[in-house]
Amino acid sequence: MSCAISDAEIRIAENSVEAALDAGASAVQVTLDKACTDIVALLNGELDNIRHTGDRSLTFRLYSEGRYGVFSTNRLDDNGIRSFMKQAVEHLRLQAEDPFRKLPSETTGEAVRGDEMGLCWYGYDTVTGKDRIAAAESVSVFGKEGNEGKGWKLISEEVEYNNTLADTLLLDSSGTRCRQVETSFEVSAQATVQDRAGAKYSGFDWDYGISPDRISSSECGRKAVEEAVSQINPERIPGGKYTMVVDRKVCSKLINPIISGLGGLRIQQRSSFLTDTLDKKVFHEGMSLVDRPRVPGKCGSILFEPDGRACIDRDIIIEGVVKEYFINTYMSGKMGMEATSDTANRPVLLPFVNGNPGLTEALRKGEGILERDGILNICGDGILVTGFNGGNCNAATGEFSYGIEGFEFRNGVIVRPIESMLITGEMITLWNSLIAAGTDPMNGMSRQIPTLAFSDISFNS
Amino acid sequence: MIQERQYYIDIFQTGPEEMKRLTAIALANGGDYCDLYFENTVMQIHQLIDGEVSSGGLNVDYGVGIRVLCGEKTGYAYSESTLPADMEAAAKAASAIAITSGSGAVKPVETRSTGAVYTAIGANGGREVRRLYTGAPNPAADRYPIILDWRTLSPSVAVEWLHKLEDGIKAADSRIRKITCSMSSQTSDYLMYNSFGELKYETRPMTTLQASLTAEQNGKKIVRNVSRSFRTGAEMLSETLIGEMVLEMTGNMDASFDARRPKGGEMPVVMGAGASGILLHEAMGHAFEADFNRKGQSIFSDKMGKRVCPEGINIVDDATIRGNRGSLNFDDEGVPGQRTMMVEDGILTSYLHDRISAKWYGVSPTGNGRRETFRSSPIPRMRATYMESGNADPEGIIASVRKGIYVNEFSNGQVKIGEGDFTFFVRRGYLIENGRLTEPVNDINVIGNGPQALSDIVAVGNDCLIDNGAWTCGKGQSAPVSCGMPTVLVKKLTVGGE
Repeated sequence: MSCAISDAEIRIAENSVEAALDAGASAVQVTLDKACTDIVALLNGELDNIRHTGDRSLTFRLYSEGRYGVFSTNRLDDNGIRSFMKQAVEHLRLQAEDPFRKLPSETTGEAVRGDEMGLCWYGYDTVTGKDRIAAAESVSVFGKEGNEGKGWKLISEEVEYNNTLADTLLLDSSGTRCRQVETSFEVSAQATVQDRAGAKYSGFDWDYGISPDRISSSECGRKAVEEAVSQINPERIPGGKYTMVVDRKVCSKLINPIISGLGGLRIQQRSSFLTDTLDKKVFHEGMSLVDRPRVPGKCGSILFEPDGRACIDRDIIIEGVVKEYFINTYMSGKMGMEATSDTANRPVLLPFVNGNPGLTEALRKGEGILERDGILNICGDGILVTGFNGGNCNAATGEFSYGIEGFEFRNGVIVRPIESMLITGEMITLWNSLIAAGTDPMNGMSRQIPTLAFSDISFNS
Repeated sequence: MIQERQYYIDIFQTGPEEMKRLTAIALANGGDYCDLYFENTVMQIHQLIDGEVSSGGLNVDYGVGIRVLCGEKTGYAYSESTLPADMEAAAKAASAIAITSGSGAVKPVETRSTGAVYTAIGANGGREVRRLYTGAPNPAADRYPIILDWRTLSPSVAVEWLHKLEDGIKAADSRIRKITCSMSSQTSDYLMYNSFGELKYETRPMTTLQASLTAEQNGKKIVRNVSRSFRTGAEMLSETLIGEMVLEMTGNMDASFDARRPKGGEMPVVMGAGASGILLHEAMGHAFEADFNRKGQSIFSDKMGKRVCPEGINIVDDATIRGNRGSLNFDDEGVPGQRTMMVEDGILTSYLHDRISAKWYGVSPTGNGRRETFRSSPIPRMRATYMESGNADPEGIIASVRKGIYVNEFSNGQVKIGEGDFTFFVRRGYLIENGRLTEPVNDINVIGNGPQALSDIVAVGNDCLIDNGAWTCGKGQSAPVSCGMPTVLVKKLTVGGE
């Protein structure tokens, strides 16, 4: 593949290790990142934007006399790199020593070629400019049937298609050598519709695959319009406590503070609401979050950590008990704990239905499915959240407040869109009110979080 | 900082003839306009953790972006090398926008002109519109001269000031358990050339100092953050600045430990002077960016010349504040930085334009064409967005509220352009009860609708303040911005709470 790291570039990376050592580093890890992307964008069905990008950069994690720094450059000529390394080592000497900065003692321990994960489509170079335009045009619905409905019309549509090849090579001075090559193909559509009163509503949808055939039948243009139209005439409903169902497209928002909160630096700095929770039951027993980074062909699958250690399957939270913090090599030394992973690489939240252990077990075995409609049925009445609008979670306390948009549902059926509201609460309490987690995480997301349901959530309007 | 032209020519190993040749290659298939954007950025980072500056680094980013426009259509490519062959390849890739092949491709249109003005017959009533800015950059008009250049200073300067900041914070309150401080210093050289023959060049500095603390009392934990960021070199650092940051970081800690969330719902909100400018940024700034309006997506796309605020309110987007994080001598299309009056006496008077939208609307560009790096095509972005002072006494504004909330420290915000629904997150504030600030509150999101919130402004204080925190706007690309506001009373917004 023409965009992949070439033999000449591999030699540049190898020589860079030598250059760093020659400049005075005692150890070095070098990462060569190379990526190219082609993008085609349509506005209202017409070609609007074509972009071609190509990036190469070297990142050095340098260790010298107990000191550490990260240095990067996209100027890859040999003389430039040697001069840059001298400057970098000088830079390091002004920093304080830190005994915990060192290369990992155990790295991948295997010859990682980069294609083991099935994340690369070797026909990448066969995709032409015409193919890209055709793919984008196949998604667009502007000017086609379905542009106008009862009381609304489509006034703006943006479609984007892109394909990317990303290639990463990691080497270090103790002999570690890892590589990961990925291709990705994405289409997205954003639609704005206007109702008779002039109010505007927007919708967005996207699709992803490691090869173009996996997105060739994408209907994201139509789905974006449907999402926009579904929000017409929102009604204000009173604030109060409601059962909340969160759509799979947006529910990662609620797991992100937990993943951040389990980060080693946050724990060590005591700035996490999950400090001192290791091996304790903190969340609802139905909550189990695992890391599954080595599933071939899946978005988010990854071979090695940023410091060169192998990514492996890990349990993060099992039946509500925190099983591990995210501890990298540095934090391992600083905290006196065994290194785990740098973060959750491909977190998977396991299915769960409160009060129904039999069904939960069956769903976890892959026997049966539980999607959004099924969860709405389980919940009966409440608010379905289909989008978050801003907000934040206090990392130290876990207290959150988010803007939301969505729908009211009754007897398991969506009845009307609602005007923007706010939800307010605290992360541990939220996850202790878990009613259900489905089996429907989205394929194109690295965080495999399905449709979720929670009880007694405070909504403000 | 504006140096001699030759300095930039040498950095990028190019010259006027070479640049002219590249634009000719890029326009060989057709198109109206082409520009080249060279960038050489050096960024240093230092981080203090657990009392030591034991982590840091240096990043070098170098390259050239080449853009071809066919009407509003864009072709864009870049090269991380300025060797002629590599730049030629990028120019040819960008020219693809003008190739007429296959359905949907753009036909080249012959609208090239070398005149200083053009007549916008269709779009703007036949007025003559300026579009050329041919003068050489003027060092005397530089908005961010560099006195202490990070590229020639020892990194020990950063280490020393990080320790001073940490020492100041640590000494201020015994409840503080952990402190992290970081400093980033960026210096970027730019050279911009376009097919009109305009050549602009400058060096942009940016120094940012940030700190975060964790404090504990009786099992309760709080986190506080502070930042300052200016387009300056190391001369930004002073004992005064450190003192100001320490005070902001550690002042009134008791209130933070006592803070709780209020009962939520719709209520009057008094926006404190300074960082409350986030309201303007989210509620209207994005919706005034002309690309959203050109595409018909913004809630304000049919509001030009109409009243969007009560009388007496002026809202500005300004690139001219000396040393401000959002200031620019030139935008990233080579258009001079300027002060753009978006709302005058409550009337919407201008969107924020890049060259594409300006031409589409038949107006002059407003100098808002910005990009994150040479890897990105420019789009309309804010700079320093603020509301001018009004006449009201800030204390009187608070006194006029029987029951509501006062907010003065924020983290993030967001807006839905079409619907106009915006939010911003309040880190700290106070309840207002019977005209007085009473209990401290924290960690609440506030939502509103842009046009409604603007029309609901009922009082504007006489105390406009620009906030100098490290605000970064995300719109597909990151851009440094700032914001400001006088004390303002909004009749009602929805506040999150228990």
